[in-house]
Amino acid sequence: MPRIPQTQGDPPPSDILLDVRDLRTHFRVMDGTVPAVDGVSFQVRRGETLGVVGESGCGKSVTALTIMRLIETPPGEIVSGEVWFDGRDVLQLSQDEMLDVRGAEMAMIFQEPMTSLNPVLTVGDQIVEAVVAHKKINHRAALDRAVEMLRLVGIPEAPRRVKQYPHEMSGGMRQRVMIALALSCDPKLLIADEPTTALDVTIQAQILELIRKVQAETGTALLLITHDLGVVAETVQRVVVMYAGKVVETGTVDEVLQDPKHPYTEGLLASIPSKGMRGTRLNVIKGSVPNPFRMPVGCRFHPRCPYAFDPCPDHEPPLDEQGNPERRVACWLHTKPPFGLEHRPRYGTATPLAVEAAGEAVR
Amino acid sequence: MTQYIVRRVIQAIPVLFLISVVSFLLMLSAPGGPANQFNQNPHISAAQINKWLQDWCLVQNPTPLDTVREYLGWLGVWNCSGGSFLSVHGLPNFLPAFLGGGTNGILHGDFGYSIETGQPVLGMIYQRLPTTIILMGTAFVLWATIAIIAGVIAAVRRYSFFDQSVTFVSYVLYSLPTFWLGLILIFIFGEALRWFPVQGMVNVRTSAAPFATQAYWQSFFADPIPNIVDIASHLVLPVVTLIAVSIAGDSRFVRSAMLDSLHQDYVRTARAKGIRERQVIIRHAFRNALLPILTNLALEIAFLFSGAIVTETVFSLPGMGRLYYDGVENSDYFLLMGILLIGSVLVVLMNLLADIAYAFADPRIRYD
Repeated sequence: MPRIPQTQGDPPPSDILLDVRDLRTHFRVMDGTVPAVDGVSFQVRRGETLGVVGESGCGKSVTALTIMRLIETPPGEIVSGEVWFDGRDVLQLSQDEMLDVRGAEMAMIFQEPMTSLNPVLTVGDQIVEAVVAHKKINHRAALDRAVEMLRLVGIPEAPRRVKQYPHEMSGGMRQRVMIALALSCDPKLLIADEPTTALDVTIQAQILELIRKVQAETGTALLLITHDLGVVAETVQRVVVMYAGKVVETGTVDEVLQDPKHPYTEGLLASIPSKGMRGTRLNVIKGSVPNPFRMPVGCRFHPRCPYAFDPCPDHEPPLDEQGNPERRVACWLHTKPPFGLEHRPRYGTATPLAVEAAGEAVR
Repeated sequence: MTQYIVRRVIQAIPVLFLISVVSFLLMLSAPGGPANQFNQNPHISAAQINKWLQDWCLVQNPTPLDTVREYLGWLGVWNCSGGSFLSVHGLPNFLPAFLGGGTNGILHGDFGYSIETGQPVLGMIYQRLPTTIILMGTAFVLWATIAIIAGVIAAVRRYSFFDQSVTFVSYVLYSLPTFWLGLILIFIFGEALRWFPVQGMVNVRTSAAPFATQAYWQSFFADPIPNIVDIASHLVLPVVTLIAVSIAGDSRFVRSAMLDSLHQDYVRTARAKGIRERQVIIRHAFRNALLPILTNLALEIAFLFSGAIVTETVFSLPGMGRLYYDGVENSDYFLLMGILLIGSVLVVLMNLLADIAYAFADPRIRYD
């Protein structure tokens, strides 16, 4: 029986649908422990859209799977934290109690529409299964519901399509089915884990538009996980930027995209190619995602950070408020460092890598 | 679906033809030859020998052309007594007799005569068929059931005590030779403990007649229950011998197929729906794992046949395997070719059934 962290705090105010507090999910594997999610906190209000942004491997998907309690144990383990959802800490629920939450009150859309649907069942059967599990209705009514959901997500000829198998549909069509499936039980929270990454660009736009539309119609809250800042800019109201299992910056989409405070966010924005850049080298963030078995001490971004200075390699910056409680940054550039260290960047004092990165930034 | 089945059946025809060629070539390459074997049997008169040689296009020291004639005669395309492709009615010999074709060859149900007993091969096989079908049917059902249940549980409770035990027992069983296992089972459960009978299909002291004769079936249907118990008790040791090795291998196969599908994205989707874990495992993971499992089971049906030869011999069961073994000892050419062919037809049929089952299990391979 995995250890379940004890609830420490009190429930959040009722307008907060999801309140994740200091969540830590680690994976114990043969070579050691991977702190995939290491102290993540954020809130989602009812009906709101929150974007979680970060590179591959930064812990976005693990955060989502932890909220859904879909982490396989072992090797995964929820080490600590609280996930308040609709007035209760879902980490305290048993797997049996969780069955009534998962699919019914919170639902998830996955990245890979090609493999996320069962190839040997019709799409109708797969939706009916979810509906029958959570609503007290018979098979026929559930099938009607499935047809209705397929119509909602814009699938033409829904009564015919409902009897088809996933292999008879395109990727975009399958992702529509996934959305229909996720929304079939009217969840309060929809978690979309890179819903458009595996799709063609034109289809991406359609699917995003669809998610926005059905969200407006159903009033569900949306947790949108993506690495694509374009998607974020178009879809969400507030953003959480994650790096190496931690939240490094939060704020409204305008605040974060117009005035990024964390060097990582800045780097992400700078690496988006734009029209005027033809012929020039693409801006990249130097270095690569840290080895999860040996996370850097101090600020986890400091080996790649062009501004790294004295406190960064030794002290982890707190996620401090910047003006209001929802605008936060975890960076010594924006927080008064302890020990009277000077509050200005000193290029090159941290690591050789940072020297190189700083050189690039100057050039 | 119908189109798929029809296509599969049509594909089986060239397979069967090739099997007949291989059966014939195998017997041809064996030393001796039917003509020599006839001469060694004192029960057959010279006149009979000559008639059979004539009927089956057999000659001493055949040329390659004679051999081809021999094959075509055995197949029923060549009319041996007339020496042509045409029957006595002047029509192609391969047609069924009622359409004016010939009467010789396997196409017309004539598998020839056993050199040893002088009886028609088909009749001998027919008499032995019930034993083999009962033995193999029981073995197959138990084998598939046990392997699937053990493999699925082992995969779902991966690294548990049950999983480790299945692994251990599998490796032990997998390394046992079938004939040795049979003898050891006879020694322990038949000889030392005296729990089960060790030979035959029925108890010769209590049964009304030898197994699978008409008199036996009459007494069987008059009072089936004690007869079924009798057969079941005789089947315990042979069935265990026959399936132990296969179960060992297949439970491992089922386990890995199941582990594979348990880690697929659609299983995660199913869990995210909030349905019961049992439903996730059966409807989503197992339904998909079933596809490789079916393929594997179909392939191993052939192994069951070869296993039956050893098992029926060790336990003196009056089945086709035993008949084959005796046939080999006596160089009984027509009998061996007949058994090879009928055994192969059964395997092809089973594979056909497996293919059809596969189409039901996997919507992606239905052709239409």
